[in-house]
Amino acid sequence: MAELQDELHATAEVGELDRPVAWPEAESLDAVETDLGTDPLEQAHAFLAGHPVADGYSGLPWALRHLPWFDLELGESAVDTDVPRMREGHVGSLFWSLHLPEGLAGDRAVGATLEQLDLVKTVVHAHPEGLRMAHSAAEITDAQYCGRVAVLLGPAGADALGDSLGILRALHTLGLRVLTLSGASWASEAGLTRFGEEVLREMNRLGVLADLSGTSEATISRALAASKAPVLFTRSAAWALRPHPANLPDHVLVELGAAKGLCLVPLTAEQAGPSVRDVADHLDHVRALAGAECVGLSGTYDSGAAHPQDLADASCYPYLIAELFSRGWPETDLALLTSGNVQRVLRSADFTARAAQQRREPSTAKIAELDG
Amino acid sequence: MSFLDEARALLADFPVVDGHNDLPWALREQVRYDLDARDIAADQSAHLHTDLARLRAGGVGAQYWSVYVRSDLPGALTATLEQIDCVRQLIDRHPSDLRAALTAADMEAARAEGRIASLMGAEGGHSIDNSLGALRRLYALGVRYMTLTHNDNIAWADSATDVPAVGGLSAFGREVVREMNREGMLVDLSHVAATTMRDALDTSVAPVVFSHSSSRAVCDHPRNIPDDVLERLPANGGVAMVTFVPKFVLQAAVDWTAAADENMRANGFHHLDTTPEAMKVHRAFEESNPRPVATVATVADHLDHMREAAGIDHVGIGGDYDGTAFTPDGLDDVSGYPNLIAELLDRGWSSTDVAKLTWQNAVRVLGAAEDVARDLRAKRGPSNATLEQLDG
Repeated sequence: MAELQDELHATAEVGELDRPVAWPEAESLDAVETDLGTDPLEQAHAFLAGHPVADGYSGLPWALRHLPWFDLELGESAVDTDVPRMREGHVGSLFWSLHLPEGLAGDRAVGATLEQLDLVKTVVHAHPEGLRMAHSAAEITDAQYCGRVAVLLGPAGADALGDSLGILRALHTLGLRVLTLSGASWASEAGLTRFGEEVLREMNRLGVLADLSGTSEATISRALAASKAPVLFTRSAAWALRPHPANLPDHVLVELGAAKGLCLVPLTAEQAGPSVRDVADHLDHVRALAGAECVGLSGTYDSGAAHPQDLADASCYPYLIAELFSRGWPETDLALLTSGNVQRVLRSADFTARAAQQRREPSTAKIAELDG
Repeated sequence: MSFLDEARALLADFPVVDGHNDLPWALREQVRYDLDARDIAADQSAHLHTDLARLRAGGVGAQYWSVYVRSDLPGALTATLEQIDCVRQLIDRHPSDLRAALTAADMEAARAEGRIASLMGAEGGHSIDNSLGALRRLYALGVRYMTLTHNDNIAWADSATDVPAVGGLSAFGREVVREMNREGMLVDLSHVAATTMRDALDTSVAPVVFSHSSSRAVCDHPRNIPDDVLERLPANGGVAMVTFVPKFVLQAAVDWTAAADENMRANGFHHLDTTPEAMKVHRAFEESNPRPVATVATVADHLDHMREAAGIDHVGIGGDYDGTAFTPDGLDDVSGYPNLIAELLDRGWSSTDVAKLTWQNAVRVLGAAEDVARDLRAKRGPSNATLEQLDG
């Protein structure tokens, strides 16, 4: 990641001639890749400098909501994520979750989601040196070239929709890019209802990614079939290694690979296991079944979950990447894991949306008409 | 050249900025936003006061579309977002006639292109669900004024048509006004109690608007503006946009409406009941008591007085089309504005006066709100005060 230059060059002393400014030697990706050293941790740092992590889930907005005072720029011990630690961990972009605590439903959920959106904008605005809002893959890259960590909005909970496609469009206008389907009346154990499918089609038309973590198998297979854009699992590991309700059984991972979706493995003790090796095992497993193009990382920091040892906060990604290096992951696969896959699904969602907008008008379907 | 021809020529240069049109609500109620069923590119005179051809005929150059939602139902914020979505869809569907406008500069650009600048106004503080965060997100979605109340009081402001409760604005209500100033959202004082108008004028450092209100001195109805408030507009810089609703502007219609409501209550119905039995009682009353009819001259009387009290730089137009069942003769729908301008020219208003009334004042006020917001944003961060904290 490009670093910020604070000063262009110092002024010359009086009487002394300006010396020509030396251009730093151009850094090519090849140079980074051929000079990784032999120590896995050094390798990991050097690799991540060129391929920063796209973190698929951060619970920071709700964690910040109740802090009376905080400064992410200088470091904030009350949370797991701040700018210095993200720089140390080579985090290049992250999705800020707009999920609400349970108990906020109905119109309260819509209002609380707007407040969360407002809080994110305010926080990002208050840290112009460290953070920048991004709404697309290209804007993530732009932010990184400017030395900023890109912040994307989402996932939001399905409650935030109030079962209205108009609100979905309003939230998209306000920057939302991922929506979690679990918990919605139209994405239940029985699968997607007709309205649920219409929600998915409208998400495709807008370019909002569907997050299927926590949904039923019936919903997953229907969404995989119906969605024109790749789907996400923002917090799912492998069921075969750790039976957790949000983890994915092997056959779903295979289906996901066929549909070119993306499974973001959470760095939590509950879903992945207590050590870095456990997380790496999940990544190995998902990569083996779904493919290297379908696996990514989800820090899940500041969401209240316990994290594996050595992965306690946003600065710890190099330890994980080092473990993967020592397991022989090729750099191409690691590049996909850290950010390439997230870039791909974002681009793909944008492309799908542009195509769909040529064909479809905004949907005015009502839940009562389709599911009533 | 007749006054009407002259009016049309003037409107071609300085089209009407209308402060309030309830088309989105009408589309929601009539067809649940099925915009094909009420395509405004076609003639909708059978169903609506508003369609594109009549807006053009009326010389409308900018429209604040109201994203009003009812205040007596839960889910106001949800419904407001749907109303905003409706306006955005209308703009997307008719790109050669409508242009989204977020600033005064956008309004001027739309006028230069010959498109109708489309702005949004929220009608009633219930739309933000007591949340300043939600207020800021509504601004981000394009809402450029918020009427502080609708017909009912809300927790932090008194309405003109409800019993006094907090006596104007509460502490949180004043914080809402300050936050609106900081965002650049105009404070709209139509529908609010006179006490709220005065409190808002005391608090706001940006010009205020009355998006659709007339003069109380001409017709004594609580929805209209008292003279002492009109007289404060020059100092504040705001604009009062005259409305056409007969039961607010014509004293005979005010009295008739009061009698009709009383008759409904005497027969055991709520005065706004529109069930068939209630309407039967209402029609029987109307047959024996013909409804008084307002005219273009009635509205011009209000403008003459408002100009007298507030000054020519502080008057505008807010028809409330598709938000009222009845309209004055000659101002039957959005194509009627030239008749009003012709009447004013007949009364001796100059072309400079008319340009201020129709276009310049309203554009100036939005620009002034933007200037204030730029200033305030540099001075203080967003407020996250809550109703509980301030009004306890």
